[in-house]
Formats: sequence, C-alpha cells, structure tokens
Amino acid sequence: MSTHGSPSVRTPAAASRVAAGVRRAPLVLLLPATAAALLALLPLGYLGVRAMEHGWAHAWEIASEARTLELLGRSLGLAAIVVAACLVLGVSLAWLTVRTTLPGRRIWAVLATLPLAVPSYVAAFTWISAAPSLAGLPGAAITLTFACFPYVFLPVAAALRGIDPAQEEAARSLGGGALRTFVRVTLPQLRPAAAGGAILVALYVLSDFGSVSITRYDTFTRAIHSSYQASFDRTPAAVLGCVLVTMTVLLVLAENRTRGRAGHARTGRGSARPPVPLRLGRWTAPALAWCGAVSAAAVGFPLVTLGYWLTVGSSGFDPERLWSATVATVTVAAAGAAVTTVLALPVGVLSARHRGRAARLLEQSVWAGHAVPGITVGLALVFFSVRYAYPLYQELPLLIAAYVVLYLPVAVASARAAVLQSPPVLEEVARSLGRSPLRVLREITVPLAAPGIGAGAALTFVVIMKELPATLLLRPTGTDTLATRLWTETGAGAFAGAAPYAAVIVLLAAIPSYLLGRRS
Amino acid sequence: MTGLRVTAVTSSYGRGVRVLDGLDLTVPDGELAAVLGPSGCGKTTLLRVIAGFAVPDAGEVVLGGRTVSGPGVHVPPERRGVGIVAQEGALFPHLSVARNVAFGLTGSGRAERRARTGEMLELVGLGGYGERMPHELSGGQQQRVALARALAPRPALVLLDEPFNALDSALRAGLRSDVRAALRAAGATALLVTHDQEEALSAADRVAVIRDGKVVQSGTPQELYARPADPWVASFVGDAVLLAATAEGDRATTALGSLALTAPASAPGEGTVVLRPEQLNLAPATEEAPARGRVTEVRYHGHDALILVDVPTAAAPVTVRTTGSAAVRAGDETGIRVTGPAVFHPKAG
Amino acid sequence: MPRPSVRRGAALAMSALLLPVLAACGGSQDDKKEKDAAKQGSDELVIYSGRNEELIDPILDKLEKATGTKVEVRYGDSAELAAQILEEGDRTKAGLFFSQDAGALGALSQAGMLSKLPQKSLDKVDAAFRGGQDDWVGVSGRSRVIAYNPEKTEKVPDSIHELTKPEWKGKVGYAPTNASFQAFVTGMRVLEGDEATLKWLKALKANGAKPYAKNGVVLDAVDSGEVSVGLINHYYWYEKVAEVGADKVNAKIHFLPGGDSGALINAAGVGVLKDGGQTEAAEKAVDYLLSEDAQKYFADVTKEYPLAAGVTSSVKDLPALDSLDAPEIDLGKLESLQETLEMLKEAGMV
Repeated sequence: MSTHGSPSVRTPAAASRVAAGVRRAPLVLLLPATAAALLALLPLGYLGVRAMEHGWAHAWEIASEARTLELLGRSLGLAAIVVAACLVLGVSLAWLTVRTTLPGRRIWAVLATLPLAVPSYVAAFTWISAAPSLAGLPGAAITLTFACFPYVFLPVAAALRGIDPAQEEAARSLGGGALRTFVRVTLPQLRPAAAGGAILVALYVLSDFGSVSITRYDTFTRAIHSSYQASFDRTPAAVLGCVLVTMTVLLVLAENRTRGRAGHARTGRGSARPPVPLRLGRWTAPALAWCGAVSAAAVGFPLVTLGYWLTVGSSGFDPERLWSATVATVTVAAAGAAVTTVLALPVGVLSARHRGRAARLLEQSVWAGHAVPGITVGLALVFFSVRYAYPLYQELPLLIAAYVVLYLPVAVASARAAVLQSPPVLEEVARSLGRSPLRVLREITVPLAAPGIGAGAALTFVVIMKELPATLLLRPTGTDTLATRLWTETGAGAFAGAAPYAAVIVLLAAIPSYLLGRRS
Repeated sequence: MTGLRVTAVTSSYGRGVRVLDGLDLTVPDGELAAVLGPSGCGKTTLLRVIAGFAVPDAGEVVLGGRTVSGPGVHVPPERRGVGIVAQEGALFPHLSVARNVAFGLTGSGRAERRARTGEMLELVGLGGYGERMPHELSGGQQQRVALARALAPRPALVLLDEPFNALDSALRAGLRSDVRAALRAAGATALLVTHDQEEALSAADRVAVIRDGKVVQSGTPQELYARPADPWVASFVGDAVLLAATAEGDRATTALGSLALTAPASAPGEGTVVLRPEQLNLAPATEEAPARGRVTEVRYHGHDALILVDVPTAAAPVTVRTTGSAAVRAGDETGIRVTGPAVFHPKAG
Repeated sequence: MPRPSVRRGAALAMSALLLPVLAACGGSQDDKKEKDAAKQGSDELVIYSGRNEELIDPILDKLEKATGTKVEVRYGDSAELAAQILEEGDRTKAGLFFSQDAGALGALSQAGMLSKLPQKSLDKVDAAFRGGQDDWVGVSGRSRVIAYNPEKTEKVPDSIHELTKPEWKGKVGYAPTNASFQAFVTGMRVLEGDEATLKWLKALKANGAKPYAKNGVVLDAVDSGEVSVGLINHYYWYEKVAEVGADKVNAKIHFLPGGDSGALINAAGVGVLKDGGQTEAAEKAVDYLLSEDAQKYFADVTKEYPLAAGVTSSVKDLPALDSLDAPEIDLGKLESLQETLEMLKEAGMV
C-alpha cells in the first residue's frame, strides 16, 4: 500500500527545511529558476575575474578614488531626481486615468505608456538639438524622466484597479477629504507597486549610457564606457561595474523591504466592485492640461522632431535595408522576449508563492545583470562563450542570452505580479485533484496569470528592440537591427538618414506599448 | 477500514513554535468528522499536513490504510486522493462549471467523464449548470460546485475548510444539510475544519476539539455538549455557566445551591461545575428559591432569550435561557432553579 | 477552449526556447567547417571594423572584387572592438582589424595579438604612419583642426595653448571620450611631457570648456554658435559641407601652424590578427587598401589624407598633406592610451 520505500529517519537538516506551512518549492520550478539566476549572474563572474586581475589592492585603489565616488554620487543623485519625478508623473497619471472622471481616460492611459516606445537616446538627442542649453543635469533628468515614468505608471495603475474602493469610501465617510484619503489610505497601498516601478527606473538610470552621453552629464556609466576606450586594461571598467552591481543589490534589498507582508492576493471572491470615479469638477481643466503637457513632452515632442528629420532628410535611405533591419529586429526581439518570459516564469512563480530563502535569493540574483551597462554584459558573454561555448559565439542564441541577462527582471516583475493576482488555494486544489506541479503550472497558474505574463513579454519585447551596446558586440556578423543601423547612421553624421530607423523603432515599439496602455 | 488516521503528528514553525503537538485523530470510513477549534489552534496546519502541502516534523498520516505521511514517507498531494473544498470554493475562474467538476477525472474516457460530471452536478442540485462560468454563480452555488469537483474522482477523503464561512447565515443551514446529504450519498469520508461550534455540532457525526495543537476532546456532538472534557471545552462548545464548586460524592455546593452531578466526584474537593443555560430556569424571587440575584441584561433572540443574572456569591453573572418572551427586565430581582445534573471538573493540580 | 490553447502556447514557448539552440548547434557546425576552409584557403576574411559602415562598405565591396576574397564585416566602435578581440584572445574570429585610430591598434599590438606585416606593404607608407612593431599600418590620415564660428569670434587661435586663456572662457567645445581627442592628448604627452599636458587639461577644464559626445556634435555646436571654437578632425567639416552645402555651414576650420600639438595627424589603420587563421587573405586586403584605387577612395569620399601609392587628395579647399605643419611624432607611441585616460580622469574630464 505504502508507495515509498522502507521508512527512514529524516536528518535534522531536512526536517528544519520543511517547516510547517512552508511548501517545498518543486524541482520543476527550482531547476529552471536556478538556471535563469546563474545566467543572470554571469556578468558578475566576469566582472570578478577582470576586477581582480591585478589583485585586490589595485581594485580597491580604483574603487576608492575620489573621482569614482564623485561619479557614483552624481549617478545616484540623478537616479534620485528621476525616480522622484517619475513617481510624481506615474502616480498622478495613474490616479487620474483610473480613479477620476477625466475625459478621454483610456486615450490618456495609452499616451502615458507610449514613451516606452521612444528610445531614450533618441529622446535625448531631440531635446539637446532643440535646446542645447539643457545639456548636463537638466537634460539628463528630463530625458530619463519622460523615458521612464511608464515603468511607474503601469504597475501603479494596475494596483489602483485592484484596491477595494470600500476602504477609500470608509475613509471619506470618516471625514477625510479626497486628497487626504488618497494620501492616507490609497497611497500606502500603492507602495509595493510604486516601489517596484521605482526600482526599475533607478536601475535604468544607473545603467543608461546613451542619454547621459548625449546630454553630456558625467555619470558612472560614462566612466565605465570611457574606461573601455582604454582597450587594453579592462580592470578599471570591471571594478566600476562591481561598484554598480553593489549599488543594485542594495537598491533591490531596499525595495524588497517595502514589500513587507503586503502584496498577497485579494481574498474576496469574484472581482472587487468597480470604484465610483471621483468627479473632477473644476479641476478637469488643470488635470487635462497636466496630462496633455506630459504627453506632449514625452511623446509628441520626440515624434515631431523625428518627423521633421524625416522630411528634411537629404541623404536618401535604402528601403531594402530598412526592411531587413526591421525583420531582424522583430526576430531577435520576439525570440528574446519569448525566452526571457519563459525563464522569468519559474522565478516569478517561486517568488510569488514561496517565501523561503532560496526563492528570495533566486529572485534577487536575476537583478544582477540589470544595472550593468550593456557593453559589460556583452563583454561578459564574449568572455564566457569564447571559452566555454565557442560554437554559440556570435550566434543568435548568445545574443538572446544577453537579452535575458539584461531584461530578466522586467519579465520577472510582471510574472510575479500576475501570479500574485490569483489565490494560491487554486493551485492547491488542482494538486489535490491529481495534478503534478508542472501540470498545475500549465493548467492553472499560467492561464490565470496569462494577461500579466503577456504584458511582461510585450514590455520585454519593447526594451530589447531598443537595446544597442550588447547587440553590437554579440549580433551574428552581418545582422543589423534597427538600433545598430541607427547607430551606424548617426556615427556617419547622417541624422536625416537615421530618422527612418528611429521612426520604425518607435512605430514598432508603439504597438505593444499601446496594448499595455489599453490594458490599464 | 479506517478512513483517516493521524498519529502523534508534530509540526512547528521556524524556531520551534509548535503548531501541532502530538496530535491524534481518527475518522472512520464513510463518516463526516469535524475538527473544531479557535483560530490559531493549528487546524489549518493539520489540514495542510493531511492534504500533503506541509510535511510534519514527526508523526504519521494514514489514509484508507496507506501511509501518506510518516518517517521517510511523503506522498505528494496529487497522489493522495484527498479532495478539498476551500473556504470560498476556489473554483478555477477560467474553466466552466463542467470543466471544473471534470478537472480531477483524469484517466477516464470522455463519455465516462461526462457522465460522472453530470452525476456530481445532479448530486449537489446543479444539474444543467455545466456550461456556466464560475462568476455567474452565487456563493452557495460555487460551494456546491466545489463539493462536486472534490467528490468527482471518488477521493479517499474530502477536506472541507470552513466551507460555509463566506455565506449568509440564512443560506448556511440549508447548504450545510445539502452538503451532508451529498457526502452521505457519495459514501465519502470527510473532515470538516471549522471554528464555528454550531456548524461542527450540526453537521458532523463526530467532533474533535483542538486547542494548542492537540485534540482535547473527541466524541459525538451530544457527548461533547453534555460531557465537556474541561471547562474550556464547555465554554467553547455552546454557551456554558461555570461555577466554583465544592464536590462531595454525587453532589456539589455552588452559588446556585447544592447541585446533582453527572458522575460522583472521584475525591471530595474544590473544582468547577458546568451547567448549560437551558438547565437554569427563572423562578419567583421568593424565599424558597435555591438562589436569587438581580437581572443585569436581557438578550432577546426571538426563539429564545438569554438572561444574565448577577448572583451575589458567583464570580460572574450566570446565563439563563428562557423560551418565548422573557417576563423580566434589567434590574428585577429573580430566583433561579437548576434542573438536571451538572458536570464537575476538579481543580487541576 | 482553454486547454488546447494552453497546450499550444506551451508548445510554442518550448519551441521558441529550443529553436535558437538547435539552430545554433546546426549553425555552429557549418561555421566551423567554414572557418576551417578559410584557414586552408584564402578566399574568406572576417574584418572587425571600427570605421563606420556607411563610409567603408563601398571600398570593402571593391576589395572583394579586386582580391576575390569573400569579406564578412563586423562593425562597432574601435575601442570596443579592440576590447572584444582582447576578450576573444587566441580564439578570435577576426582576420583583420580596421581601426578608426592608431590607439586601438597599438593596444592589440602591445597585447601581442597582431602579426608582423610583409615588408612590401610597410614600405608603401611613411614610417610616421606605421606601428613601432611593424604590425599595423596607416591607411588614411586625419588632421586635428580647430573649428570656429566667424560670427562668434574674430580671432582664431593658432595654438591649443591659447584656449586656456580667459578670453576663451566657456567658449571651447571638445569631445573628451572620443578616441581622436584622446589620441591628440596622447600625442601632446609625447611631445610636451606629462606634466605640461596635465596642466593644460586642467586649465582647459577650469576655463569652462564644454565636453560633447563626439566630434560631429562639437562641430554642430560650433556651427550653431553654442561654442565659439571646437577641437575636431578635419574631415568632419568637409563631410558636413558635402552633405548640407557650403553655404549652410557657418563654421570654418583652421589648421594650426608651427607643429602645434593641436595639429596632430593621426592615422586610421589596419592590423592582421595572429590567431585569426586568415593571414593570407588579410595580407591581400592590406595590400588592396594601400593600392591607388583604395587610397583615391579615402581621399575623395571620406575626405581624409591618402597615405600611400603616391595619391594626393583632390578635395576642394583641403590643404595638401605635405603642406601641413604637423608635429613630428611616432604614432606607435600613441599606444599609451591608458596613461592618457588616467590623466583625463585626473583632470576630471572622463
């Protein structure tokens, strides 16, 4: 009758691992999640090897230079400004489009997502060419804020839709005004979503090179890039990269703390009653002006500039090239998004469903590659593939692997949030009805989380489309994406020639962005 | 054959906080048993151990003669044959009612599956609802589908986790007896986990009261109510009047006078007697009444009323249940008469 | 029909995961064969090019036809490609490295990754435009110049040393992360010594010089009057004139006299990778790039100075190479880019 072998005494270690109430994470999740985490940790390994090449003392010397600290301060300062501005833009637009009677709410929601489609280096270029005096901190902050606020808008809008309106109503019945209610009751509940968005923004700012280099604001990444220009000594770049990873780890740990005990699925059955939208009344006009101004700056302005370039273009462009670059871009971005999403799923499920230390460690390690500049990720994969996977070198799979390393957290965050939306009891019931963990994942978890996972895939697709440094290093020889063509054209000084590529990037990325915005 | 046997199961959180502390429980085949306890007593952990979602530190779980948890043995949930009816139904929102019910019917042909699904839906009174989606059903209907889904694969055991919690009280009683009838008809062994004593007493053949991770008393609802194992069980299972008492033979002296005991005290001495409010009757406040007091509160329930009477020598007001409208008001003097024997619990230690 | 669609979705996801891997396995074998073939014969060549595709692609097409070699090109930034080749080590896929400037070639030379070129190729080029180890050779030359906006300034400096004076405060544009600028600083170090160079860099920064991302942007800034003068390479101006027309370019350029450090002539050049396994094809390519045909192309199209085959530039308004008063310097010494970078760092520029 008994299905297992002879009874044996469990070791104390094994017994302590399976404390009451904690479900053991099934291997079918642990194995792929571990693989994903290891992949994400590759750049860290590479940085370690390179940073220590000349010993600890040398590495420490570089890390502790006054200039290093100054740049770190500048990077963190920029990140703080951009995060704060993104929170203001993202939360205000989310609240206006989800909770008020703002006219054209759905259109504004889509417009608030569209900046995702504009590569930040393109946006930076349009700003700087229009107003050269913005160079430096103001330009960098403006560009990055308008490029990044959708990362806050999307999760916060989703969270706003999930909050039970009864709580807000209770607060208002106790005499709190609309604003007070928002600050005291709504805002605290938005904290996990806002923090999740904020961390993506902060890491984007820390790892971005394109826009800070165009707006001429000296940051940590610029120092890393200049270091690579030295070519023969990769140690300084690696040491600086290590400092950046350390910053990332600290930021991610801080974000994890804001999650606290919150964030689990709503217990009520069915869907929450849709909230009664707040009447804006005489505030309608200012609210519309605000949304209009943000959209104009973040979407309208770069598009108009691009349009202008398209019309003045003197150096003709090759439609066949544009087409082949488009096909290549869609191919790599689709494959990259698919693989990233598939690998993110087990990590996201583990992090949503298992609160053990292993799950947390796995989730945190996927962030390792996200704050490292693309060039470092690219060189790390060159380093490892040349040594251990030579047949993959300069082949599509390696490029896909780089995208996974760079953007896993984007997909993991979406998968995690999506899985948290459905109560875990559904999975337990499915198992009690005879389904193995893998089949539960396939038949219950994934179908229920599908919209959120799909949104994550769309977002990943968009960010991969815009990626340049790692693509340059790892693409199969002769393959051109829209981003690399854009780079070539601007390198040759042909901004008019570059415009069609930039325009196609924006148009292509606008489709998934539009779908993301429609959802919200 | 035994349906479920749980032996000496121990389970603890992280740093040695014991949630289950050597718990024993037996449910005979085909019976509906209830596990009753306040929140935090360990009932949820017990349920998860039985279903296979938690691994106990020690002890054994035997289902239909097969050890599913024990030293070196852990059968995963999907191979235990334990059906679950969760608090709020937990129907799969993306599947129709029929697909929900058929979910556990793997390994059988399509026709057989359809037949069994129809049969189960008929059993819970929802024939013809197969094509609906879960959100199109009321809370009570969702619970019925959840039960049909759990019963469909003919599980060795059905676990019902506070299944009526989220329902209106008007619906509860009806659904409770329907569930009971369905379980009976299916011949299933079932374990109902609840903190609601009324639910446990009215639904189950047998009730185990749990406190601090242990079963403190197990028996039929009648036994539990009439002969609670200790004053705590007495006040947890139904309303109780607890009085300090000095026992001698088969009588005890209390603030309500000398009372007959259900069983002679093993040794004379101090202790507590338990009475049920319906054993107390109001009497005219005359000299003949064994005890007198002042009415402090009248709680009117329609079919009956509870009257709290402050008796000078009792530590707390005693509760008297009267049927029909109460003839007294707060502030009135009243006499109290006791009918039937009291249960005596000697002072511990 | 949720279940079949889920199954289909899972199948799709799995194939998305597996296809690239399978494709890679298939591809890699072909690739290996190709590479082996390339090693034996000499009809295939992989070039890592730090020079822009728009400028270089036409001449490489001609190279394919002229030498009968099938050429595959990987474009990137010179320094990043050098870093990539260094990471690849002895398993590099590159047969030839075509660098934008001498510095990146020097880096590979110092790492011992370039092979010595045949004497007949070396002989075609002035020793001033060759690597010290005879393992790379310049293909085209570019002169550092000062671009200025006549609307903003009447006086044009004749030496970079004037730029640290108060009259130029906040009026100078430069591209500190650009390889050409860094090569110029390296040259200055060689010519004037580290101490003087560092002093000049610090003074330039203290004088409010504005850093830009690249030469082209510096020229645009001069053109728009955002700054009065800028440090760039000569051909940026000629290219801009060719693209938008001379009447639309406000900026002018000035070749510095007197062997000033700011008049450095740097070379874009090529080196053959020792471990690329394509030496024969690569050497043929080097020969072609030094031929009259190719040299004319660099002169006419990229507006650079041809360095070999006796070709002279025919670009309008471009002073002849031998008329320039450039400082005398061994370009091979421009390898010490690392020290330059440290100096730029110390000056707070990068």
